[in-house]
Amino acid sequence: MGTLSGKNITKTYGKDTVLKNVNIDIETGKIYGLIGRNGAGKTTLLSILTAQNPTTEGTVTLDGQPVWENEESLSHICYSREISQVTMFGPNTLKVKDYLSTGKAFYKNWDDDYAKELVKLFNINPKKKVSKLSKGMLSAVTIIIALASKADITILDEPVAGLDVVAREQFYKLVIEEYAQTGRTFIISTHIIEEAASLFEKVIIIDNGEIILTENTEELLARAYRVSGETEAVDLAVEGFKVYHPESIGRNKVVTVLAEEPVAGFGEDVQVEPVALQNLFYAMCVDERKEA
Amino acid sequence: MIENLGEDKSIYLQISEMIEDEILRDILREEEQVPSTTELSKFYKINPATAAKGINLLVDKGILYKKRGIGMFVCEGAKDRIKEARRTSFYENYVKRIISEAKLIGIDKAELKKMIDETKEL
Repeated sequence: MGTLSGKNITKTYGKDTVLKNVNIDIETGKIYGLIGRNGAGKTTLLSILTAQNPTTEGTVTLDGQPVWENEESLSHICYSREISQVTMFGPNTLKVKDYLSTGKAFYKNWDDDYAKELVKLFNINPKKKVSKLSKGMLSAVTIIIALASKADITILDEPVAGLDVVAREQFYKLVIEEYAQTGRTFIISTHIIEEAASLFEKVIIIDNGEIILTENTEELLARAYRVSGETEAVDLAVEGFKVYHPESIGRNKVVTVLAEEPVAGFGEDVQVEPVALQNLFYAMCVDERKEA
Repeated sequence: MIENLGEDKSIYLQISEMIEDEILRDILREEEQVPSTTELSKFYKINPATAAKGINLLVDKGILYKKRGIGMFVCEGAKDRIKEARRTSFYENYVKRIISEAKLIGIDKAELKKMIDETKEL
């Protein structure tokens, strides 16, 4: 399976521009993390990459072939979306097993035994109506469908949102297990960055409808620093670097630096610490809001 | 190998250092098999590519070697090699930190020497 590529994607709803000229390449055999604030455009991007939503401008291709209304391309992609508990006509009366059989019908690599195993693991009653499921159980069903689809490219939009800590850990281990065995490509969006950061080989940061960064997570963090100390010393040490989210307390100042390349040192007068992905994301995205 | 991962350095470096520590403490012995990339990645909830990077670093250093179709093993002489390498960075990684803290709180050379002389653990 080749690269899933979005070129110059713009999406507008009326006067609202939700995605602005986004370019993205999803390489095969990697786990991607997609992070962004609420309303940044994550779900819109994912639904466009999987042809569940048309672009206003731009194209999405898989292995060079447009994915829009392309059954062959789409059979390699699973986008397991949050299941809606209500429909236009009232409560959603479908049962869990209905969703599982839809998955079976739709995905050509669907693994039924694996699906059953996961249903047991997450303690789901397949006969239950989805309108009667708790938030956590709903999340579990979308995870089960995603994993059992065995699709080459599997996309999970905030899969852990409703899950308790035990189920979240279960989910992370399942993804690693599955990835280690099959090398499937995963794209996982999440707000719980700290927990999942080390899972992501690459991270995509989206803010205000634009992808501000797509990079190997380790390489990204290797050029990010938290520099603190006396205000003047800090200002001197980080001169010429890209600085995010400066904060002052008393005569001290702390900034987040994202250098072009790893930096050997910032001098003896300041303290330098590494930055976790969640903190880097915070520093990068909190600033832009302030300036906007 | 059950320490928590920290945020103070790259995860792959932490993985390789942890394996080195186990070898130094004789928990992992020479010619013994080390956990697989998958086992490490599941245990620490890290990307398998990261775990592999940590393992490969140790292969490059001559600490681990691969037995085809079986897994990774500790090289003969690995323990001595680790000791040698860590000795060269001991001043930079540990002594410098002690000195900087000593300076900060006003412990002078003589006092620091006395502490070291009086320790019974060394």
